[in-house]
Amino acid sequence: MSGFIVPGGLWCGDCRLTRLNHSPYIPVMNSWNRGFALLVACMVYAGCRPADPGLVRIVSSLPRTGSAKQQTDSIVRGIRMAIDEAGGRVGPFRIEYLDLDDATAAAGQWTSEAEAANARRALQDPDVVAYIGTYNSGAAKVSMPILNLGDLLMVSPANTAVGLTKPDMGEPGEPEVYRPTGRLNYLRVVPADDLQGPLSADWAKQRGVKKVYILDDNEVYGKGIADLFDERCRELEIEVLGHDSIDAKAQEFKSLMARIKAAGPDLVYFGGTTQSKGGQLAKDMVSAGITARLMVPDGCMEQVFIDAAGAANLEGRCFVTFGGLPAEKLTGKGSEFVARYQKQFGEPPEGYAVYGYEAAQVVLRAIRDAGMKDRRAITDAARTIRDFDGALGRWGFDENGDTTLDALTVSVVRGGRFVFEEVIDATDVAGTQPSE
Amino acid sequence: MGTVWGWVSDRWEVVVLAVLAVAPLVIPALGGALGGQVTTLFIYCILALGLNVMVGYTGLLHLGIAAFFGIGAYVLAILTVPTFPFQIGWLAAAAVSIAVTAGIGLALGAPTLRLRGDYLAIVTLGFGEVAKVTLRNLEQVTGGMKGLNPVPPPGAGVTVAGTDLGLAFAVDPRWFYYLTLASLAGVVWAMRRLENSRLGRAWVAVREDELAASAMGISATRVKLSAFAMSSAVAALAGCLYAASLSTTADPNAYDFNRSILVLCAVILGGLGSIPGTLLGVAILVGFDTVLAPWADSLIQQLNINPSGSSLLSFSGWRLAIFGIALVLVMRYRPEGLIPSRRLAAELHGDQR
Amino acid sequence: MSALFFLQQCLIGLTNGALVALMALGYTMVYGIIRLINFAHGDLIMLGACLALTLVGAFGLEAAGTATAGVATWLGIALLVGLCGLFCGLVNVAVDRLVYRPLRDAPKLAPLVSAIGVSFIFMNIGLFWLGPADRSFPQLLPTANLLPGEGLQFGWKDLLVLVVVVPLMAALMVLVKSTRLGKAMRAVSQDETAAALVGVDVDRVIAATFFLGGFLGGAASVIYGLYINTIGFQMGFQNGLYAFTAAVLGGIGSIPGAVIGGLVIGLVRALSTAYVGERWAGAMVFAILIVILVFRPEGLLGRRTKEKV
Repeated sequence: MSGFIVPGGLWCGDCRLTRLNHSPYIPVMNSWNRGFALLVACMVYAGCRPADPGLVRIVSSLPRTGSAKQQTDSIVRGIRMAIDEAGGRVGPFRIEYLDLDDATAAAGQWTSEAEAANARRALQDPDVVAYIGTYNSGAAKVSMPILNLGDLLMVSPANTAVGLTKPDMGEPGEPEVYRPTGRLNYLRVVPADDLQGPLSADWAKQRGVKKVYILDDNEVYGKGIADLFDERCRELEIEVLGHDSIDAKAQEFKSLMARIKAAGPDLVYFGGTTQSKGGQLAKDMVSAGITARLMVPDGCMEQVFIDAAGAANLEGRCFVTFGGLPAEKLTGKGSEFVARYQKQFGEPPEGYAVYGYEAAQVVLRAIRDAGMKDRRAITDAARTIRDFDGALGRWGFDENGDTTLDALTVSVVRGGRFVFEEVIDATDVAGTQPSE
Repeated sequence: MGTVWGWVSDRWEVVVLAVLAVAPLVIPALGGALGGQVTTLFIYCILALGLNVMVGYTGLLHLGIAAFFGIGAYVLAILTVPTFPFQIGWLAAAAVSIAVTAGIGLALGAPTLRLRGDYLAIVTLGFGEVAKVTLRNLEQVTGGMKGLNPVPPPGAGVTVAGTDLGLAFAVDPRWFYYLTLASLAGVVWAMRRLENSRLGRAWVAVREDELAASAMGISATRVKLSAFAMSSAVAALAGCLYAASLSTTADPNAYDFNRSILVLCAVILGGLGSIPGTLLGVAILVGFDTVLAPWADSLIQQLNINPSGSSLLSFSGWRLAIFGIALVLVMRYRPEGLIPSRRLAAELHGDQR
Repeated sequence: MSALFFLQQCLIGLTNGALVALMALGYTMVYGIIRLINFAHGDLIMLGACLALTLVGAFGLEAAGTATAGVATWLGIALLVGLCGLFCGLVNVAVDRLVYRPLRDAPKLAPLVSAIGVSFIFMNIGLFWLGPADRSFPQLLPTANLLPGEGLQFGWKDLLVLVVVVPLMAALMVLVKSTRLGKAMRAVSQDETAAALVGVDVDRVIAATFFLGGFLGGAASVIYGLYINTIGFQMGFQNGLYAFTAAVLGGIGSIPGAVIGGLVIGLVRALSTAYVGERWAGAMVFAILIVILVFRPEGLLGRRTKEKV
């Protein structure tokens, strides 16, 4: 029972306990105590399983069952490719990779319970030094505060909800609530929705859209981006005819579509994912006789979205925004990655594969830079990466853990595929981003 | 019974409790992820014991227990998360949550008690759906699909002899292990007392023959209402533990019909009205889901048996079928459950209501 | 947002409701005869939809084109309805024989849990059949509007629902009312022992009921695929929930009750989406269910029966 914290035992007596406004239960410690706490924490972990000094374990937590599987398969392949290219070793360490599932077959998508279990499992395994994930922003909200307690590096290849990192842009208390230790351990290699949502509205305006009808799936990601889109539309004086949340468990949306048809928009915007019924909406839109265009965010940028909606229903009328470049537009290391992927798996990568690859590269670089198997040192090495020459180009992390990349692209569905339409320049609207 | 086995089977609770209490000190794995999984198991045991009051003792089919589980979790979260001004301690919040949830149980029970059998079942099912949708849509209060997050662990901000209990709960799963184990022991003890109390016997009397019970001067309405309240209260306790151990309420879909069904199956599989049966049922069904399936999956992955990721070769791909076959087989060969309640076993054979 | 809009919503609601009603019949018939809530019925419908999707591919119906609904398409659909109905009916009979029949004298909840078990097994089969993601069901019928003008939308798909559902229900009514089998079914439903005493082969009648319920479910699965155009291994749950609710709402055990219950649910869903908001629609259905049951505890058309003691 070496690691069990006995009352009055291992914790140092003079931790100053202060009630912080954002997290009422975390002691503020001076550096002496911090070192001591770390030691204790190590002992706690050591009590569970003996660590292997020559091994570092990287885990990922992604929805591996359900309709996101095709996309996450591609991400996992990206991660595996990065590790294989490093020869399965980084510095003096052997790498072991564990692919955890945060979805259940019963739910068909991620669940809080599975994500929390994954986070705890990673936290309590002393060999784990990095956690790649999550795919869904809502899932990140569950695991971030857990992993933060152990300063375990978390790199997301796909979360785009604003509040996860950016102060004063999400809900009150975000992002501090996710950092009970007050330190940063969460990074993401994909640009957040504060670009995607408003820029989509700008693009719609440019294309002459006058009236929109906005739908969202009521989830962290979908509702977040739809709200940003909504706000920007009002600023640009695009008329918002309605903004409804859908029930993502409903099977059809015929009544809703009749209502939208009666309102008569030029564009229907859906903040949501394939998993929250993006495909069904597109289908019912067509059978209700709505001729307006449909615009969806990156959560739908996967082949299963087109399969679910039926290619004919999207042909030429469905526009997809994506925070980054599509695979065929990548250059340099990125295009090499795409070529290798194509060669190895015989199919082109999904949109997020390259982000999985890049996330793994960031983790490998951090372990190499830190040079030791120490979670805190590895996390610090990762978050101070300012200049990274990777598959996505040259970029770095800012002080919030966000990427400095800000390219946004719009694709249109043609012939059952996403066809690149144009890059939207973020600098046009940089000054007019919503202040809240 | 003079044998050792007789002694053990008469006092099985004490024996099991002793074994479980010592286990974390001997099995280091319980300080890791396994500890968290076993904690979840204990929480489901409490939930199932709550459902057992309705379905087992009183004979009212309840298909919406998860809603009460969820309401319990959400009320606790509202009272403790940093986004609301209350932020009271876990114990006080749990007490309020249990009282509120029991009240909601009464409010649902009062108008619907004259419904019989399966009609009552569908009302509880409907209530479960309404509660889920309401939790999802009342974003200002419940956080919608985000849930309420983070729920501080019990003892947050309390220091005992230099140990910050909140941090201890967050870091070492054994704290939650003991908290849930103690709660479970408390609930089992209370149920034992209830079984043999006036109220417990009234429950069974109403189940066996409502008319005869009324003729004996038992108020069927009050007895049923008390079962509703008791069942909701115990479910709320489970919810409070659940939200605290997850550090979030999770999204409302975590409290849907599937969960009610899982718990109901556990109760019936183990044996209606039987405390050891209920606990065994949960251990088998929920244990399979939360302990065995993830373990088997990661084993398959580590052995690299399934490089293509096909669901035919993953354990969780077969999870539903194994589950279903187990339910069918147990019901076929032991329709009264694995450990039928002594009272029920004595009278059930061949006879049905 | 006018009378026309209201009419449109009612039209959608009634069409959806007809589909729910068809599924509800499977619940209500089985319940009527052996007092079992057949939780597996929704998932049986899902299996029917799997078969329908496979058959559409095998027949090459997709190639039949969507420009006009030709005779070949309609014949193909009729064949699909027949085959999937047969399949679901036979599966239902087999399940009854293997799982429910041995439990006729068991405690009341044992068959219920078995039904839940069967539903899990079906779901797993569906998972392997379809894969974990939702699948698109091909659009076999043209999307053109059949009504003149822009105001009301009523397409071929909506017509299909009515064309299949109404005759099937009429046939069922006739069968139960005036055939020998129908009389036997009603007799078993009223009193199993007495029916056996007057020479009714109870097991066969129950099997026939399971077959009919399954057949209607199989037919519903084809219509569902063609009408909603998306199927997935989890669709059974949501379908089952609504269908079961419809059956109870109408008075479980009553065949016209199931039809009325289905239509009410369709209307409530459509109108609450139109006037309250999509996200409340699911809750409205169940809230209205609870209210109706509080005032009419035996459902809309149910008879007040004494529970067997």
